[in-house]
Amino acid sequence: MKHASPSLWTALVGSLARRPGLARLLVIVALFVVWEIAARWFVDPLFLSPPSKVIASLGALFTTRGIPAALGLTLYELAVAFVIAVAIGLALGLAIGLQPFVRASVFPIVLLLYGMPQVTILPLFILSFGIGAASKIAFGVTHGVFPVVMTVVAGVQNLKPILMTSARSMGASRWQMFRHVIFPHMVPSFFAGMRLGMSGVLLGVLLAELYVSIAGIGYFTTLFTQNFEPAKLLGLVGTLAAMAIFLNALVRRAETRFGRWRTG
Amino acid sequence: MVSQEVAIGVRGVSHQFGEMGEQRFVRALLDTSLAVSRGELLCLIGPSGCGKSTLLNVIGGLTQPSAGSVEVLGKPVRGPSPHDIAFVFQENALFPWNTVIENIELGMTFQGVPKSQRAGRAKEALAAVGLAEFAAHYPAQLSGGMRQRAALARALSLETPILLMDEPFGALDEQTRMILGEDLSVLLAKSGKTIVFVTHSLGEAVFLADRVAVFSARPGTIKEIIAVDEPHPRRPDFVTSEKFAVLRNRLYGLLHDEIRKAVLQAGAASAPVPSGPL
Amino acid sequence: MAPRTRDAWLSRLVQVAFLAGVILLWYVATTRWGVNRLLLPNPVAVFGDLVEILRTGAYVDDLMTTLGELAAAFSIAVAGGLTTGYLISRSAYLTKVFEPLFAGIYAIPIILFLPLFVLFFGLGPASKIAIGATISFFPITLSTIAGFSGVDRLYVTAARSMGASDAHLFRFVLLPAALPVILTGLRMGFTVALLSIIGSETLASLGGLGHRIVTLAESMEMAPMFAYIVFVIAIASVLNAIVSTLEARGRWDR
Repeated sequence: MKHASPSLWTALVGSLARRPGLARLLVIVALFVVWEIAARWFVDPLFLSPPSKVIASLGALFTTRGIPAALGLTLYELAVAFVIAVAIGLALGLAIGLQPFVRASVFPIVLLLYGMPQVTILPLFILSFGIGAASKIAFGVTHGVFPVVMTVVAGVQNLKPILMTSARSMGASRWQMFRHVIFPHMVPSFFAGMRLGMSGVLLGVLLAELYVSIAGIGYFTTLFTQNFEPAKLLGLVGTLAAMAIFLNALVRRAETRFGRWRTG
Repeated sequence: MVSQEVAIGVRGVSHQFGEMGEQRFVRALLDTSLAVSRGELLCLIGPSGCGKSTLLNVIGGLTQPSAGSVEVLGKPVRGPSPHDIAFVFQENALFPWNTVIENIELGMTFQGVPKSQRAGRAKEALAAVGLAEFAAHYPAQLSGGMRQRAALARALSLETPILLMDEPFGALDEQTRMILGEDLSVLLAKSGKTIVFVTHSLGEAVFLADRVAVFSARPGTIKEIIAVDEPHPRRPDFVTSEKFAVLRNRLYGLLHDEIRKAVLQAGAASAPVPSGPL
Repeated sequence: MAPRTRDAWLSRLVQVAFLAGVILLWYVATTRWGVNRLLLPNPVAVFGDLVEILRTGAYVDDLMTTLGELAAAFSIAVAGGLTTGYLISRSAYLTKVFEPLFAGIYAIPIILFLPLFVLFFGLGPASKIAIGATISFFPITLSTIAGFSGVDRLYVTAARSMGASDAHLFRFVLLPAALPVILTGLRMGFTVALLSIIGSETLASLGGLGHRIVTLAESMEMAPMFAYIVFVIAIASVLNAIVSTLEARGRWDR
């Protein structure tokens, strides 16, 4: 910029124009400010608390008996469900992608189940698997496994036949073809699938947790709602949202680091 | 028939993309001047990146040049002039969600042709390019050559005195190009339009043009203008004549070094730009 | 038979066989193997209850509640999403600022915020409509942005060169070009609205189909609960099929 002495305003606008990320941050800050103002002066404190109050009551929230345990349990369920969903998804996806017989017989079933509104059978899941961690993990797995299967299948199917042909022409064995051609080719799709799978697992586990209001976070969300404690409710929900954002970011990081060979 | 009247006057046009020091800075055109007579078919030929498409866009009012001016039919160019100039682009400019005839009628809607006239003119244009039976087809159902015929029909239906064609046959195979080139020559001999035609192909330039403007490598400027003194419509056996071979060889001589230069430029362009004190 | 239609036919066959097999297994499990009736009711009883429910129209109130919430939520999401998406897509800068923000929010289960909506709007339909509209807003907005941003610039250039005005451009070029992507987003928005509403009815509600299933589960009335589950799955399938067909109709790129 060749201006003589840019005013503060033009400098600010200029740097914002070059950094959409900064602008995004400002949008989020602006939202918080609006929330603060609205909650303080315009909305009944029974229904909404300003962020300042929420943050102030975080201490009380985390020392409430049962909250840390509930949060820890949820995190545990998320982790276990994710690992299981990814493992099953990968195995099933590879089988469907590589074996025509499996594809013809199993894939239609997978597609049928994928289209089903699983939330309908949530009460049934709880009745069958109980109110403990098992049902939450199971519900998380059933939500998370499908995106993994679909993306792995797509990743295997997208393999251009010319790559297989040239490998075979160089004398590769079946195992070598799998390890050096098929598997690396499928890895980016697999990581994308893991990202979607994490979203699915988050949905399944949290849905189940919110439903079961005997112990766990569902109990506390119901409690805070019924007692009209918006500050604590917002704090709890906010913490869970932060957890979800963090886990998503983790998987996305892994995808960027390990999952990309295409764009070099 | 080529008249003496100047249809398009280009004076000292220069154009650059981006600012000095930016990664994307490129001097596309440097001080280019040109006069196109009414009824003439002028070809612009040159290596990749020499600015011929940029010049076409400047003439057509799609790009404002960094320096210089353009006059079309005596009026300065400030933006698109849909009543004076029609474009034919390289490919994919037909709207895929409309049928061929809907595409042509839509062009006339944009230009402002009254509704009652559109259907008739569209059918005429399609017949002129030999696509009358494909009016209700979608572009995806047609071959590349047929799509470009349809694009030409759309341009013709606008009944403009000037046609600007940016490598219209560039995406087609050689045999299709040959046929389309012959058909174009016949069509244009009848209509008397002024045409500026950008191409990469030496043979196409000699076959179609009254004059060929040869561009240098970037920053592009007109190196030389060769005249092809042969009446329209060009007969297919013109291609095998000695006159054709002489002209084509002259073009080759003028272009070869520029093409090599352009290839080197393209290699250098993908190297990282050294950053300044900032 | 062309290979693709034969594959589709074979797929359907496998799915039907699978369902039939499951029902058969279910029948045998409850009648021969003595699986606990409290856990798995007899399929014949379930079928009987389903017929009874349909015959007496006992489902009507709950169905109307759910469908009403769905209609309201989806309408709000569509109006808001299309408008917001279009306005954002007009500026590359705004797209760069907001698109990642929306995508990031959509990646977390927004149903998590249901307790907040219940606190604010109560247990009635308003909280379901609010959360349904909120969740459905995102795929619609994101695909509207993608649709309009993804229009090949050449179409715009060609139209302008022929003298197209801004109104011409929007109606004849931008909208039809963006439509396939937008329709997909609308379909996804609908599916997600339906799921969110049934889900929120399951978690905290006084009425609606999701709530009905929960009530039956709590009173351990297994056969009617299964009947309602089948009913809801059927309704959801029909609605999704209708929406998918509408989407396919509008897609000129297939």
